[in-house]
Parts: sequence; structure tokens; C-alpha cells
Amino acid sequence: MNPSKPSLRLAVSSLTAAATAAAAIVLASVSGPALAHHAASMFDRERTVELTGTVREFQWTNPHIWIQIQVANENGDMEEWSVEGGVPNRLFRAGWRPNSFEPGDEVTIRGFPMRDGGRAALFIGARLPDGSTLGLYE
Amino acid sequence: MTQPFVAYFSGNPHQESNMNDIRRLYVFSASLAALLALSAVAHGQSPGRTMPDYDQLPDWSGVWQMTSNTVFDQATVEPPGGSSNTPGTREYPPYNDEWEAKYAANRELVRQGRFPDPITTCGTPTGFPRMMNLPGAYEFVLRPEGLWILTEDGPNIMRISTDGREHPGPNERWPTFSGESVGYWEDDTLVFETISLKGDGDTILDRTGLVLSEQARIVTRMRSIETDLIEARFTIEDSEALVEPWNVVKQYRRLEPGTRMFEFACAENNRNPVDASGRTLTLDAEGNVLDQQ
Repeated sequence: MNPSKPSLRLAVSSLTAAATAAAAIVLASVSGPALAHHAASMFDRERTVELTGTVREFQWTNPHIWIQIQVANENGDMEEWSVEGGVPNRLFRAGWRPNSFEPGDEVTIRGFPMRDGGRAALFIGARLPDGSTLGLYE
Repeated sequence: MTQPFVAYFSGNPHQESNMNDIRRLYVFSASLAALLALSAVAHGQSPGRTMPDYDQLPDWSGVWQMTSNTVFDQATVEPPGGSSNTPGTREYPPYNDEWEAKYAANRELVRQGRFPDPITTCGTPTGFPRMMNLPGAYEFVLRPEGLWILTEDGPNIMRISTDGREHPGPNERWPTFSGESVGYWEDDTLVFETISLKGDGDTILDRTGLVLSEQARIVTRMRSIETDLIEARFTIEDSEALVEPWNVVKQYRRLEPGTRMFEFACAENNRNPVDASGRTLTLDAEGNVLDQQ
């Protein structure tokens, strides 16, 4: 796939309380509590961000996995977002693998954005190139 | 499980020769018991507590996971079912006024996002009893002389001696993250006491801001309540922080056979350092701070 192909979109939406609770439950039950070694207060669990773009790098590392994804902003300029996920150990037991994301993959990732507008998000779920999903993504 | 040592004699007590033999055997046994007791005391062991045999130990093999979320005291959490990662969640330990105020201050820091988790720096163990309140996997390695608790989220290894020893003397121990633990078997229940713990400032019990002092003494009672379910009952006493013992129950379920434990190298790629104000930052892939404020 062409990493610079601009088939990207960014959308931010508010979650209902019920949807937020459902997301939290899924995060806890499917992939384990999302974070282990630090609190997640920098992420706003009342809102979600949906990032459609191209994976530049997948860091299958401790203490957390990271997905680096190139996304076009509202002006069409490419920006890199950092999506933080859980501990690889527990994600492995939930079905993830070190190649769950690969450079060049066109994916859509849903996450809780940073409260202060920084280009990072806490992973909720993703749709992968083959149409399958990870985490909470219906 | 552990029975007092009992010596059984045989023979006919109405026969003089047997009586003499019995008297000699009794004197020998009593002398031997006294010698063993003196030896045990000399080695810091508690007389009267003996190690179980391997075949007396329960089967705690395999990999285990806590059944609840990481709120330490599930019985008192508000809101019910609340998450320790959600500001506003709290529990109700029997704190005295001073430590209730300390807990309130911690919860306010949680609300502000400035209550740093001590383990975020990736250099210290979570400590006890928090190490029994982790989302990752556990192994409970039982041997006659002790239990080793290995936690995947770490680094954490806890060693509980059941070889009859007592706690080290006051000048032979110092506060540590996991403390000093000695215990014994009471039928099917492992009972152990943990002292010499680091307190407030070094460890927390969960991210709602729960803390204890260095005076904490914790008695844990662990047993299998089902084939694949272990229960741990903690009775926490803390003369500095609590007005009465605090009882907390946790459970751990055995995962499928073949489940693997993995390395947790926290410093491998820590992109969430803590700044001088206590705020946890978020870094991009090149190490630049992403926080905008």
C-alpha cells in the first residue's frame, strides 16, 4: 500500500455515558485494563477520536504497545498520531500478535483522545485491512 | 494440614523388659525433641511449626489471574463496580481522621491528573499488598519451605517462608516494597504475616490513592475454595493509619492450561515519564512531549 495515499479522515465525537461505560467494560474484559504502569487521566474518556490512515510503525513493546499512524488533518496535511494500547503480555492472551499491525496497513482506529489536544489517543478498537477488528469496534 | 509431631510407642506395658525399653525410648525421644527445639530456636525457627511434605501441598500450579478489577477493596468501593482509573472512585478503609484526610488529598490529585503511580518510573516493585491487586498473570509456586508469588506485572517476586522461621529481629530488617513474610499451614490454608513494608510515598494499594504506613502488619490467609479458584483474605492492621483491622478479600482464577507468562520490562519503551509536578507525560515515537498544556 502507498503510505502517502490520502484516504484518511479524522472525526471526533462525544460518547453517551452508556457507550463510554460499554467501552470501559470491553477494554477491561477483552484486552485487560488498558494501561498497567501509569494512570490514563491524560485521555478523555468522554470523547472518542476515529483515525483512518496508514500505519507507519507498530511498537510491540513493554510497558505498552504503540501504533504510529499517519492521518490527514482538516487541511489535508499529514500528521502522525500515537495510539497507546495495553500491555503486550495481556494483549497476546486476548488474541493480539506482534504483527497485528504492520507498516503500510490502511486501518481505522478508535480511541480516547488526549484532553489537551495532543496527537495521541488511548486505543479502544480498530478495523484492520482484511475487515477484521481488534478490541471494541463494531 | 500440619499436625503436631506425635511419637507412637508399641509393645506390652505389662512386660518389665518392654517397660524399660519404653522408658529408655521416652527419655531418648524427650532429649531429642529438646535438642531439636533448641536447634530450631538457635536458627530463628518457631518450635511447634513444621514444614508440610510436598504431597500435602495443594495444587496451585499453572497461571492465575485476579477475578476483579484493580480496586483493592471491592466490598466498599463507590460507585459499586468503579474503576481505580476513574477519578471519583473511592473505598472506605477504617482510616483515622489524619489518614482519611491524606486519602482525600490523594483523590484530589487523582482528579487533577497529578497523582503519580510510583511504578510509572519503571524502577520499583508494586510492593505488598498491591502486588496481589494487579491485572496481569500470577504464578503461585509452592514448596514445603515456602511460597513464591511471581507477578507478571512487575518487577515483583514475593517469598513467604513456611520453614518454621520467625521474622528477623528489628535490627535485621528494614522497610522494603514487599516486606518480610513468614507463615505456616493451618489445614488447607496458608497463613502468613507480612511486616517491614515501605509506606506512604513509596507504595500505593491502587490508583484511587489508597496508602498505608510503615506500621502496617498484614495477615493473609490463602486457600483453594474451588479447584481453579484461590481466595486470599487480608487482615490489615496499621496503628498509624487505621482505627481497626481492615479486612479485604481477593480471588484468583486459574487460566487455561498452557497459558504463558511473559517478561514485563517496564523501562523498555516507557513513553509516559513523570515530570517534576507529578504529571504523567505522553511522548511521541521520537521522544517529544505530546502534551499541549
